[in-house]
Amino acid sequence: MSTSRIPETYIPYAERPDWADVTPIPQHDSLDPLVPIHYTPEYKDATDYFRGVVQAGERSERVLDLTEYIISLNPSHYSVWQYRYSTLIALKSDLAAELKLMNTIAAENLKSYQVWHHRRLLLTQLRSAEGELDFIAAALEEDKKNYHTWAYRQWVLAEFNDDEMWAGELGLIEKLLDKDVRNNSAWSHRFFIVWDSGIRKGEEDRETVTRRELAYTKEMISLAPNNASAWNYLRGVLERTATPLSSLEAFVAPYARAHSHISGFITPASNETEGVFIDLENPLPSESASLPCPLAIEFLADIWEEKGGEEGAKKASEYFASLAEKYDPMRKRYWEFRQKEAQAPHPVTVSA
Amino acid sequence: MGAIDKTNTTDRETWRSWIWRQQISGEFGTGFRGGPSLSIMGDTSQSLSDYDLPHLIMTYTALLSLAILRDGFSQLDRSGLIKFLHASQLPDGSFSPVPGSTEADIRPLYCAFSICHMLNDWSGIDVRAAISYIQRCRTYEGGYSQSPDQEASGGTTYCAIAALALLPLAIRSTTALTPFELKQTLRWLALMQEPTDAGGFKGRTEKTADACYSFWCGATLENLNAGHLVDPDANARFISSCQFKYGGIAKAPNHPPDPLHTYMSLASLAIYPPTGVAEPDAWVLQKMDPALNASRDTAEWAREKIRATE
Repeated sequence: MSTSRIPETYIPYAERPDWADVTPIPQHDSLDPLVPIHYTPEYKDATDYFRGVVQAGERSERVLDLTEYIISLNPSHYSVWQYRYSTLIALKSDLAAELKLMNTIAAENLKSYQVWHHRRLLLTQLRSAEGELDFIAAALEEDKKNYHTWAYRQWVLAEFNDDEMWAGELGLIEKLLDKDVRNNSAWSHRFFIVWDSGIRKGEEDRETVTRRELAYTKEMISLAPNNASAWNYLRGVLERTATPLSSLEAFVAPYARAHSHISGFITPASNETEGVFIDLENPLPSESASLPCPLAIEFLADIWEEKGGEEGAKKASEYFASLAEKYDPMRKRYWEFRQKEAQAPHPVTVSA
Repeated sequence: MGAIDKTNTTDRETWRSWIWRQQISGEFGTGFRGGPSLSIMGDTSQSLSDYDLPHLIMTYTALLSLAILRDGFSQLDRSGLIKFLHASQLPDGSFSPVPGSTEADIRPLYCAFSICHMLNDWSGIDVRAAISYIQRCRTYEGGYSQSPDQEASGGTTYCAIAALALLPLAIRSTTALTPFELKQTLRWLALMQEPTDAGGFKGRTEKTADACYSFWCGATLENLNAGHLVDPDANARFISSCQFKYGGIAKAPNHPPDPLHTYMSLASLAIYPPTGVAEPDAWVLQKMDPALNASRDTAEWAREKIRATE
């Protein structure tokens, strides 16, 4: 079963002698279907026989062939998947072989819910996730932001909860972010790994972990300042560790200014020996970065709003106004709303 | 969206009767299936196979479709429906689309809440557990994910916030977002409207705009009473650029159009009509109920006719 058993030349089930004992049941679509679906003759033929075996309650090897064939035509048919799975269980089939077959089918149908759900059921039975993380990493190579693939990876990690498996996650994430620093799925997975999946060995000292995460994220922002994924992660870390936004003021400020205003800006002509202070904790934007960065201006505005008082309100309001008027005018309505909030802080009422 | 007025009574009656034939009953209660593809014994309303089951998302769709067709709902098995809702909930508060499946997340949860809302009966489900599941789907970005610990996404954020908005008032007051949460969610939603994509909405951070998120994110802002944060003209400009030469609206410019993106785009324009259009008539779409995802008239009809009596 590890290789597909779909015959190369298609013979309708209706013409196969080994299926002659099954009574096909046509779809009973009555008088006027709401939206008639124009099934292909192959699909119609196969599903007529599928209804036949379901009606008879048949569990057999040929049912596995039939369901594999229908899945190849329509990978989202959840009843066919369901029947296939219960047939595998009833026949006590080799589930490891089924998993191998699924490797091919999954690679072709990364966006089908059923493909991933079927794998979950198989792994739950097999009680082994050997090679699974590598398989998922290969699938992520194909489609780096695939929601189902990431969800499945998180399920495998949590379900099998093996220290060795968790240990490779940051490496994978950094590899993906090296290729595309805007891969929000990878950032989101990082948050899950570092903050939302328990504390693993070597990560007990949360202050060190926090410092590591802030340093990494700042570094990523310095490479591509206009990347909301990294800024959102930074905010997430601060919130999770109850750290005030203002602790990052020195880092953020250079990103909120146009290039000519950055003091200590590193050019080939100036280096440390010439007295320019390089702050390793606060990497500066590169020369080619598009500045000022609206996300940095927003961050400064939030810092001042957090500081509060008359000065805080005034400064925050100025920053929000600059976003509304100059740096992010399409979101004018939002920035003006933030500006009003900063000037007269009051809780917003909400229906939800 | 009003186009139903352009259809004739005979068609509408035929459609209603086809949808009613998808209402099936069994040990899990009563609900609607997507179609008769596994109807073994033909057109009866009895489910004769373990594999011919009602589906929660299809049930939500069927009820709203019947409301659009102004059905009287005399054939609705309300107590069976309540039993079906109960059978579809998992211990963690989430819902599976088909009873007995473990494939559960926040989408069928939203459908279950919509059905309870239309029935005005929440007795079939564990509301507290469901609310706690919604809270577990909240992410550090301020959006909500499909199941806990996943990435924030527009469609699932819609499901989370709309579900909360559909709760009875007495419960709603105890489940409101905290001021910090609200601020964070509004920020995430506002950042989804993307100036570099002509003002359309994207569904996840650092992805590109897609017309369906004009509804998912736009309606969510409306459900949070924050529709004033949307730039309606920029939104309309993007949708207009997704139009297909021969009709329909695609997810993005130069993609093939499909019914989902066409509907979602029109629904978004109904919530956010562009300003200053020379011929206002061209843009008059019926007012939307952003939590049920139906026109206000249809939503009213559904609430009035589906409501469990007594």
